Amino acid sequence: MSRDLIITPYSRVEGDLRIHLSLEDKTVTEARASGVMFRGFEHILRGHHPEDAIVYTPRICGICCISHSVASSLALRAVSEDFSPSPAGEIATNIAHATENVMSHITQFYLYFLPDLLSNRFSSFSMYDEIRKRFTPFEGTSTLQAIRERKKFLEILGYLVGKWPHTLAIQPGGITKSIESSDIYHVQGILKDFTAYIESRLVGMPLRKYLEIDTEERLEESLLNERDTLSDMGLFYMAARELELLELGRGPGRFISGGAYPFQEDGHFFQPGYWDGELEPLDPGNISESITHSFFSDGNEFSSPFEDRSEPSPEKESAYSWAKAPRYRKQVVEVGAIGRQVVSAEPLITDLYGRYGSTVFTRVFARLHEAIILLAAMEEWVSRLDSCADYYVKNKLKDNARGTGITEAARGFLGHWIVVKEGKISNYQVITPTAFNCSPRDHRDRPGPVEQSVTGTVVASENDPVEVDIIIRSYDPCLVCTVH
Amino acid sequence: MKQEDEMSLNLLFLHGLGCGGDTISMLNAEQPDIVSFFRGVGVKLLWHHTLSVKEGSKVTDLFRDILDGKIQLDILLLEGAVPAERNSHSLGGRSFTRWCMDLANVSEYTVAMGTCASFGGIPAVRGNTTGATGLQFEKEVSGGLLGSDYRSRAGLPVINLPGCPAHPDWVLETLHLIANGKLSETDLNDVNMPLHFYNSLAHHGCPRNEFYEFKSSAREYGQMGCLFEFLGCRGTQCESDCNNRLWLGRTGSCTRGGFPCIACTSKDFPHEGSRFFETELIGDVPKFLPRDVPKAWYIGITGLSKMATPERLKANAVSPHRIHTPKNRKGD
Repeated sequence: MSRDLIITPYSRVEGDLRIHLSLEDKTVTEARASGVMFRGFEHILRGHHPEDAIVYTPRICGICCISHSVASSLALRAVSEDFSPSPAGEIATNIAHATENVMSHITQFYLYFLPDLLSNRFSSFSMYDEIRKRFTPFEGTSTLQAIRERKKFLEILGYLVGKWPHTLAIQPGGITKSIESSDIYHVQGILKDFTAYIESRLVGMPLRKYLEIDTEERLEESLLNERDTLSDMGLFYMAARELELLELGRGPGRFISGGAYPFQEDGHFFQPGYWDGELEPLDPGNISESITHSFFSDGNEFSSPFEDRSEPSPEKESAYSWAKAPRYRKQVVEVGAIGRQVVSAEPLITDLYGRYGSTVFTRVFARLHEAIILLAAMEEWVSRLDSCADYYVKNKLKDNARGTGITEAARGFLGHWIVVKEGKISNYQVITPTAFNCSPRDHRDRPGPVEQSVTGTVVASENDPVEVDIIIRSYDPCLVCTVH
Repeated sequence: MKQEDEMSLNLLFLHGLGCGGDTISMLNAEQPDIVSFFRGVGVKLLWHHTLSVKEGSKVTDLFRDILDGKIQLDILLLEGAVPAERNSHSLGGRSFTRWCMDLANVSEYTVAMGTCASFGGIPAVRGNTTGATGLQFEKEVSGGLLGSDYRSRAGLPVINLPGCPAHPDWVLETLHLIANGKLSETDLNDVNMPLHFYNSLAHHGCPRNEFYEFKSSAREYGQMGCLFEFLGCRGTQCESDCNNRLWLGRTGSCTRGGFPCIACTSKDFPHEGSRFFETELIGDVPKFLPRDVPKAWYIGITGLSKMATPERLKANAVSPHRIHTPKNRKGD
């Protein structure tokens, strides 16, 4: 018996997602992911002063707005006369950006992903009661603590960029705030407190000890040694093993990373690159967007972001999503913490990826792992802040130019493409992580990564396909970003 | 209003054309934090788009139960603007826009969280293709989705809590006032913003105020001086208490972060046709003056202030860090 199931509104994702499943004998035979809420940022920006991108584009998304600040400021840097941005401003920007991304990893894990494990479907898990005790929304001990610690951690942003969401401090030449010694003192203190929380609750050991783990054997030994005192990460790992999440929801096996946290002296902390079994340098010129199944028409079904002049076309018959379908070398690619760390050859994630591929477990685990790596790195970055430095250097925009600003948001690759003509924006295109991951089918009818991962999944209940939910939420879709 | 024996108010969130930033901001609440708030203030969350477990038809069933009167809706909070119905997506066979209207019509109180839900915000700028509007205003024009005459069951218009995003206190304290029966129409200004939060200016409490007084202005970002004269700051025109209330654990604000207030609580935000990072001048005089200062007086006071500016302020205003500390005048 075959049947169709449509899930909307889809909760615990940013923005509005619609999932359309075709099921046969409790197996997903086809999946369609649709972004349904369109605002039209790219149209709105045309004709505006280029600097307006710094105000408008962070407002695409309230959870990864600093990533948009970084991408837009880099895009504006690319259309400026040659100048040397402030190295101190770059360090402060990287700390702020890492703060947002660590926050996002923790938010996804506790608030968006874990509640699915409370489903009756998983009640056979030997520590199901513990899952309920810790992770029930608005009640679980770990969830409540995460909400409170997350908020305290974000106070770093008050000291560095004034306000969040939607700061304007991040500019092409640095940041607008001149950091004083008190700011550094408080940021260090917040970081120490948050690290202590992560050590005691999430990891269950000192970060230094955790960061020595480079294989799954060592991970198992460290995380699962004391069943009575399992950390949250240990509990998740155990659930993943018992509930068969290690290999569930496999992605397309190709990644891109835009590279993140650039330092003038030592390059990117996370390298940019394309990975399809082997690593190659990233060439943004290889990114193009298909709109065959998207509510846009411009007569050009597959175009580079610079050329994209697509117009909304809500009646388009072949379309089912307001998301476009970005591809790299015309291939379906996945983006996110897992891809970022495979591209950067992070040892433990590379080991896990080699065993399981990109799956529910490795995707979610990679985010936690990255949060820990970043916390350790941030401590060092903060020690480089200088209360006497200049944090801002003014840039001068060209009247006619084109440029790109590429970075990584928590969920993966983020790119802004700008074309400036006679001092105004003539084209502005944004390609976000979830545009890759939740993309609809392309001109060759190839499904996007989420659609591919879900297809073939066997569900226990066709009315409540929690196995599908868990796959989708392992990608942490952000539809406000995707559709914009 | 609630019966006294009923302990909690039923709260429903909806997400329209928005960025989710008001919710993300709300999670940063403190004194009390969001957890203590929901435990202590007597509100029950029926559903929230990013925080609830419930999804799909269970949510649209909940909406139907509310419309059928099986579940009382005390407070409806919308985040994001509302698209014209023809551009709206469908939830369980009814457009999002229609759900907003129908649910608002049965709600005791209706609250617009953020500038988009209040006035349309960014999605409602010129050239927008979605027909976006706020709940009861489209920019400065009364009406919006629900019409000028709309009153929630408790008799109030839509309570507007603009801000991009709204400060968590503005949202949660409003819920607290409602829960305690302490919010009435006389507490609202001419565009239905509670005076509790919007009766002062973002300028108040700005640490750059001494620079403002003496018109010692920063010429570039990263400098300590006032941002009003050259760098686009609208703090003297923006209704909000940002620089007294402060953000993120009371650690920062826009001007404390070194960038201009862009008056994000305003009806006409994002101020189309204006620059954000540069003050537009007519001659030497800023086009947008402090709210209630007449132009002639502004020019007079500015001239006088500039003559009296201490050297310390002149130097510090254009420096990234404080280079001069206050000293006694010679002869004292």
